[in-house]
Amino acid sequence: MSDQSSKWTRRNFLKGVGVAAVSTEAVLARAAQAADPAPPGADAVNTVLEGSVKLTLHVNDQDRQVTVEPRTTLISALRDRLEPAITGPKLVCNEATCGACTVLLNGTPVYGCSVLAIDAVGKKVTTVEGLGTPDKMNAVQAAFVEKDAMMCGFCTPGFVTTISALLAENPHPTEAQVREACKGNFCRCGTYPHVFAAAQAASKA
Amino acid sequence: MAKKTIKVPKVVDGVPMGEIEVEVEDTGGPSWGANDKHRLLNHPMRRVDGAAKATGVAVYTQDVRLPGMLFGRFLTSSQAHAKITKLDLGPAQKLEGVKAVLAVVNVGGEVRFEGQPIAAIAATTPEIAQDATRAIVVEFDELPHVVKGEEALKPGAPQVGGPNRRVQKQGNAEQTTAAFEKCDAVVDVEYRTPILHHSCLETHSITADFRGGDSATVYASTQGTFTIPGDSAKELGLQQSKVTSIVQNMGGGFGSKFGIGIAGQWACRLAKALNAPVKMALTRRDEFLAAGNGPGSIQKLKAGANKDGTLVAVHAVQHALPGIGNSNIAGIPYQYKAQNFYRESSALNTHEDSSVALRAPGHPQASFAMESLMDELAYKLGLDPVEFRKKNVTDPAWHRQLDRGAKEIGWARRNATPGGGTGPLKRGMGCGIGAWGGGGNNQCKVDVTIAQDGSVTVAVGTQDLGTGTRTYVRAIVAEELGLESDDVAERIGNSTLGNANASGGSTTTASLAPSVKDAAYNARVEMAKRVAPLLGAEADGVLFDKRQVMGNGKALAWKQACAALPAGGLTAHGKWQPTLAASGVHGASFAEVEVDVETGHVRVVRMCHVQDCGLPLNRTALHSQINGGMIQSMGMALYEGRVMDRDLGVMVNAGFGDYKLPGTLEMPELIPIIDDGDTRQAVIGMAEGANVPGVGAIANAVYNACGVRVRELPITPDKILNGLMQLQQRG
Repeated sequence: MSDQSSKWTRRNFLKGVGVAAVSTEAVLARAAQAADPAPPGADAVNTVLEGSVKLTLHVNDQDRQVTVEPRTTLISALRDRLEPAITGPKLVCNEATCGACTVLLNGTPVYGCSVLAIDAVGKKVTTVEGLGTPDKMNAVQAAFVEKDAMMCGFCTPGFVTTISALLAENPHPTEAQVREACKGNFCRCGTYPHVFAAAQAASKA
Repeated sequence: MAKKTIKVPKVVDGVPMGEIEVEVEDTGGPSWGANDKHRLLNHPMRRVDGAAKATGVAVYTQDVRLPGMLFGRFLTSSQAHAKITKLDLGPAQKLEGVKAVLAVVNVGGEVRFEGQPIAAIAATTPEIAQDATRAIVVEFDELPHVVKGEEALKPGAPQVGGPNRRVQKQGNAEQTTAAFEKCDAVVDVEYRTPILHHSCLETHSITADFRGGDSATVYASTQGTFTIPGDSAKELGLQQSKVTSIVQNMGGGFGSKFGIGIAGQWACRLAKALNAPVKMALTRRDEFLAAGNGPGSIQKLKAGANKDGTLVAVHAVQHALPGIGNSNIAGIPYQYKAQNFYRESSALNTHEDSSVALRAPGHPQASFAMESLMDELAYKLGLDPVEFRKKNVTDPAWHRQLDRGAKEIGWARRNATPGGGTGPLKRGMGCGIGAWGGGGNNQCKVDVTIAQDGSVTVAVGTQDLGTGTRTYVRAIVAEELGLESDDVAERIGNSTLGNANASGGSTTTASLAPSVKDAAYNARVEMAKRVAPLLGAEADGVLFDKRQVMGNGKALAWKQACAALPAGGLTAHGKWQPTLAASGVHGASFAEVEVDVETGHVRVVRMCHVQDCGLPLNRTALHSQINGGMIQSMGMALYEGRVMDRDLGVMVNAGFGDYKLPGTLEMPELIPIIDDGDTRQAVIGMAEGANVPGVGAIANAVYNACGVRVRELPITPDKILNGLMQLQQRG
């Protein structure tokens, strides 16, 4: 006999900072301030958050109210909780292997499946939608269209976001640097060669 | 009108099942004209939905979020083979936010593979749905399992209870056996390929929008828009005509997405139980374990040839490994002609999820084995592998493509002696050939509407898998009407539009493009009739070019001409024209690899694939497709394969962290070549032709580089190092 059931719980814990939190948002705001750049204050104790947590995410230059659980990932908050949803970044592996959920957190690419929504409070979240629109694409998006750097397109938002961040830091990367930056992004249709070409074209735009 | 009977391919769930005869009208009708005389087609074209995809606004099934929508999730089996002795859904049903928990397998029922759904849950958030899977109490009595092909071959192996397929036999065993006696060289070996995973980035996903009443809308990540309403209607208890399926964008199929599947079945059942929309998007792990796979193979091959390069005899025993399902490996000697041949094929069932079609079902497996075998014979006879192949295929397309590929890759530079050269990094080259049907059939109904304001719409229910369907349907209409692609809008991916076939067997383009051409042609003829009086011209003397309608020495701007249409504009219908499609594509792949004989690591340096396809519709999209074929070949050759724990019966690499897909760091230089030597003025699907021969080409290049013949995929460093050790021991 084997038993597949396991002990389950809906209590979820966040190690934050601050004492006697008056509101979740206040706790999170202080946590965000304290976490970056200063270390937690001397009075830090564990703050337990559970159940529904109402917070404000700063996404694509807008403050967006959203109710999550402490364990809700950033990608799930964007896709499954925000109204209206932000669905450019995709949920593909949910274990930080494929890069389809890539978003920028203060300009740095992160896997949205591996960042908690509560940890994004107080930070600048940028998704592929925030980089450009069909009428006003950024250089990377325009180059992706020009070089046919997509087929089914499900990995495309992740690649566009990763390469946009790369170019912000290094405007003229070598192809080797592009490959290195995108090594955490998977494509199944086989667009890689055109993705490299698009990155090169965007760097010259 | 006169009728004629023609043969078209029959494809079931992506698997070609021979040909059927259909009756078609024998019409003069439209023709494509010479392949090099097109204005838009056969040129590089920009993907019309590129901007939507690059900016994240393209909506996929997983992106659909409806008011009141619930999140579906499966509890799946942890056991490869077991009887369920207890199933208590109660604790899950009591959770706040859980709206429904349904048993998929009941107490007393059996599970036959790890990952088989046991219960289906609908909850208000994905997290709560996951909690529910943990809350359900399930107990099993374990039953004996078998998850390895070689174990399943043994007498007394645990029974899987598969379709119990009979052994199929072809050719003449006695003659073939006798013929080996007279051969100058004989190779007698076994090749193996593992079960592969489609790894579509969008997992199998369906959102069933049913809120009671007599109708429903089903959003599906599918290769067949029209495979959805019937299946869904059955589950929802509705009339098929009251169910609309929507497939605006989909994140990869590769043969795995026909019908509603288990995700759709339970999305519908949960929606029906709750009168609320339910989205069932499989988790990545469930996708690996329970959404279908490509069959593995064990192929025992013996072949003999003469010094002059004649393939004399081939004897093959081919086993497909389709889990609990059924499957075929393409027949040996594959594309080659042997004077004598005999083959047996059968399926070996294991306690794993059923295999389904995977891009060129059964072909890459057979091609890898046969191309390796041809290579082994060539080296044994001291013949050039390219020349040996040319000797044993008759179609001039392959001769042309082998010559072209050899030139592109620099075949003359290849290692003169396998394993020769100094230093730890050894380079080598290999090649292979492949084929596919890709013909069309009479299933698509297309409308082209020209509105009074000059806007043009082409409408058909088909789906765009990322192959560029939207782009070429626009271009065909634009070219016919003398417009630009941007002047035409497409409406696709909706079952209320004209019928279209499922995208299996590379039949989409050869079915759809002729139907679009026919509709556009009919629209042009009708438009000419309307505009001719304005120009004082005869209808058949009206020309459409440069956004103008011309005749009798006069020209009207397109919009002016359209203003003459009635308020409702003009709608022309199109259906499949057999003269606009053909069947049968050829390809040849070449690979150059570098093997590090100290680490066993293989790097593909360069790869080239030459592919014909009749009339190339969009050269840009074709290059993308050919690249994709080469990359998938590379994955199969070097990285991919399901790994099972024999004792536990479970998959140990059910995630992208452990199931290795080709990534950016592994990308070689890729050279995609459209074979313009093919002058057929007809459209043929090619996607499945492009991922067939590359696998053998890479395996053969590895041999040429380091002298190690790896007969079991994937070619991982341990196999190279073992092979090198054996070479050393043999001295």
